[in-house]
Amino acid sequence: MSELQAIESALGKAAARRRWARALRGLWYGVLVGAVLSLLLLGAWHLLPLPYWTLACAIIAPFPCAVTGLIIGGWRKPVLNEVARWVDLRQHLQERLSTALEVGSDKDGGNWRDLVVTDAAQHIKGMDLRRLVPFHLPKATRWALVILALGAGLGFVPEYRSKSYLQKKAEQQNIKDVGRQLAELTRRNLEKRPPVLEPTQKALESVAEIGDRLTIKAMTRSEALKDLANVAEKLKDDIKEMGKDPGLKKMEQTARASGGNDSQSAGGLQKQLDALQKQLGSPVGNPEARDKLKKELEKLTEAAKGMADKNSPASEAERQKMSEALSALSKEMQDMGIQLPQIDEAIAALAANQPDLVLKDLKSSLVDLEKVRDMAKQLQQLQAQMEKMGKDLAEQLKNGQPEAAQMTLQKMISQLKSSNLSNEQLQKMVADVSKAIDPASNYGKVADHLQKAAAQMKGGDKAGAGQSLAAAAKELGDLMEQVGDAQAMLASLDTLNQAAMAIGSGQGWSRGNRPGFSPKGKGPGGGVGTWGDDSKEWDGMYNDHWDNSGFERPDEDPRGHSDRGEGELNDALRPTKVKGQFKQGGPMPSITLKGVSIKGQSKVEYEEAATAAQSDAQSALSQEKVPRAYQGAVRDYFDDQKK
Amino acid sequence: MNTEDQIQQFRQAHAAVRAEIGKVMVGQDTVVEGTLVALFAGGHVLLEGVPGLGKTLLVRTLGEALDLSFSRIQFTPDLMPADILGTNIVMEVPGGRREFQFQRGPIFAHLVLADEINRATPKTQSALLEAMQEHQVTAGGEIRKLVEPFFVMATQNPIDQEGTYPLPEAQLDRFFFKIIVGYPTADELTEVLSRTTTGAGAKVERVLTREALLDLMKLVREVPVASHVKDYAVRLVLATHPKTETASPIASQYLRFGSSPRGGQTLLLAGKVRALTDGRFNVSFDDIQAVAATALRHRLILNFEAEAEGVTTDHIIGQILKDVPRDVQAVSV
Repeated sequence: MSELQAIESALGKAAARRRWARALRGLWYGVLVGAVLSLLLLGAWHLLPLPYWTLACAIIAPFPCAVTGLIIGGWRKPVLNEVARWVDLRQHLQERLSTALEVGSDKDGGNWRDLVVTDAAQHIKGMDLRRLVPFHLPKATRWALVILALGAGLGFVPEYRSKSYLQKKAEQQNIKDVGRQLAELTRRNLEKRPPVLEPTQKALESVAEIGDRLTIKAMTRSEALKDLANVAEKLKDDIKEMGKDPGLKKMEQTARASGGNDSQSAGGLQKQLDALQKQLGSPVGNPEARDKLKKELEKLTEAAKGMADKNSPASEAERQKMSEALSALSKEMQDMGIQLPQIDEAIAALAANQPDLVLKDLKSSLVDLEKVRDMAKQLQQLQAQMEKMGKDLAEQLKNGQPEAAQMTLQKMISQLKSSNLSNEQLQKMVADVSKAIDPASNYGKVADHLQKAAAQMKGGDKAGAGQSLAAAAKELGDLMEQVGDAQAMLASLDTLNQAAMAIGSGQGWSRGNRPGFSPKGKGPGGGVGTWGDDSKEWDGMYNDHWDNSGFERPDEDPRGHSDRGEGELNDALRPTKVKGQFKQGGPMPSITLKGVSIKGQSKVEYEEAATAAQSDAQSALSQEKVPRAYQGAVRDYFDDQKK
Repeated sequence: MNTEDQIQQFRQAHAAVRAEIGKVMVGQDTVVEGTLVALFAGGHVLLEGVPGLGKTLLVRTLGEALDLSFSRIQFTPDLMPADILGTNIVMEVPGGRREFQFQRGPIFAHLVLADEINRATPKTQSALLEAMQEHQVTAGGEIRKLVEPFFVMATQNPIDQEGTYPLPEAQLDRFFFKIIVGYPTADELTEVLSRTTTGAGAKVERVLTREALLDLMKLVREVPVASHVKDYAVRLVLATHPKTETASPIASQYLRFGSSPRGGQTLLLAGKVRALTDGRFNVSFDDIQAVAATALRHRLILNFEAEAEGVTTDHIIGQILKDVPRDVQAVSV
């Protein structure tokens, strides 16, 4: 290897090492830039309502910056001549290497070329690359690490969000939740009972779509309410359009006028009635008598609890007295037709001087009595329902019970088909059908079919009459389907209104739909201390009362009052006076309004009324029914009320 | 003799001349060194200092150490150009005929000492212009070549002294170096007193012949210079040009005129001599920096502001050396 080659080789190695050193330095500078960027983003995210990807960017920023720094640092491959000059500078070689490289490339350099190259080669021999280009961490490393640590520390600091932003986010979340609930509920209803009419199908699908839109799209409250109001308006128009069908209208009017309840068939009601009566056995007296019995039994149970020591003479007298009272009660119950063997067992236990057993028997009989009372109440309700149920076809149609009427028609058809239909039975059927023609006039073509069937029956054409009755039954069925569609649309409209109210009030969907919260009182309780799943909606199943009688819950026994000291309030709970608010107990400011004075006690909760009014106001604002000049005032008024 | 031997001979000759001067001159190392650099580079030297600091002694000793013809011209206000160059005079030739013959002036010597050059009028000073640049004189319409090597070693008193005339810019530029002769230190002064107040006188030997000197001067010009070092010299010179893109801020502020290309030539040639003296075979940035002040100080013309503020050319050169980076690319590697 010539001296010049040796110089070039050494310089090449120095260049490669220098390139790596630059790349590493670039990496650390990249980390520093990334850390600064990260810190700035984190700071901004903590102070401003930036989206979550900002946080993600802040976390990953140092990595791409470091890679970029590494690439930039190591990108340029230094020219050998430049490296020679750099080494000259670093090693104080008085430009020996750079001159040697330059002169060395000149082949006509003569003696001077050799002298310069040899001199340079001698000087480069002892060059230590590690000392020349050390791989040390630049100053930027320290700063980068400090800033990264700061960024990490900042990660633990809770971010600041303004009240208006939080409110807006909560509103958006609420809108999303309501939209999801709306879509799910509508789709579930569609699956459970697919509409017969195409417009109904479309209308309900549009409700589901608006639910989806609310879920997916980020909307403001007014936008969401506007959309909901538009769909509700369209739904109302559809319902109005549907209401124009005379058959349906009359059917609806009839059902409304008679207050008919067609939810359960007459057969089903009778079956339930029979089962209850079988359980109860003989009649169980009137409710007042039963309440009196219960009170007496409760009194005796309390007395049994406080019974004295069984060996004392006083206890003997007490037992005697209780035994007599229990015997009287037992007799009274038997007279009323209530069979409670536990009473007799309690008397026996009392005689055997076993107070614990007496108490247990009495508690058990109290539960049984309660159960009997509930069953009697249910029996009464069923009987009342049965009374409302139409006896024949005419009454059923008149009472607006098309399902029952349909069943009656089916029964008639099967009778007509059977061979052993007597003449009297036929005559009675003709009379029933003829009587039903008039009330059937409210059910579209049903009256025509019935008229035809009556004529055919009179003419002895049983098969033809059967077909006419079947046609009448079918017509009724179609009408029922249409009514079902209308009901579905109404229900959907209700849902829409509910959604609008949930969005308008900002209190969410679930608050008004939780089991136990329904104003109709249906569904199991969702309150504190139960195992009810508050997050789930009530789907209408298990509507019957759940019988928990016989179960003992010792954990629910009262344990008396706990000692809470002198009644001193914790400082944190002490009421404080806040500037700008009415002081506690102070007079409320009032204004006098002209108009009708409403006297008496309100039957509606204040919050419910306020929420409804707010929802209406939101709806009116979103539909621009309120003049622009007053919009701000209306909005401020309801916002203040909400606070 | 190969190049390496020549270089060796150069160093020996330099050391020998230096030693001979050292027998007479006490101290003033930078002055002696600068004078020798100009000698080997073939340039003229202007020595400036107050009277009595050994300027004339230095040049006279140099003339004794070199095997060269030496003449001394004492510049006075009434000195005429012909007194320097020579003149045609009527001479009687054999046969009784009279004709004009050129009588050579003191300029026709290898080493000319122009003592107190700024005491002569500018007209007389200008008589040296052609001689210094073209190594020839024109008299009576005839060009006469001067002997080689030809050196002008001029001394001058500071221009603010009585009876002095400033040297024209053109003549100043023809000087390779302007060396400022300063006061000796206490030790040096003691030594001067010891040497000059006793009977013992040093004898200076002739250590360098004319031919050897010419060879060494030729050798100096062969020393290689890397392109980036040359570029540095160029950038330094350009930085002295006021009101240009390349000008250093201080040059733009305080200079009326910057260095001529002769300044760049001086930097490189002086750098080469210095490299050889230092035992190197190439010129370095340090060499350029070391000679920058002596090479450029007389080539920069100060403006009124600088004069008013008392800013010297040495100060400006120092600032320019700080402003102009040595090697930009080396830093960026």
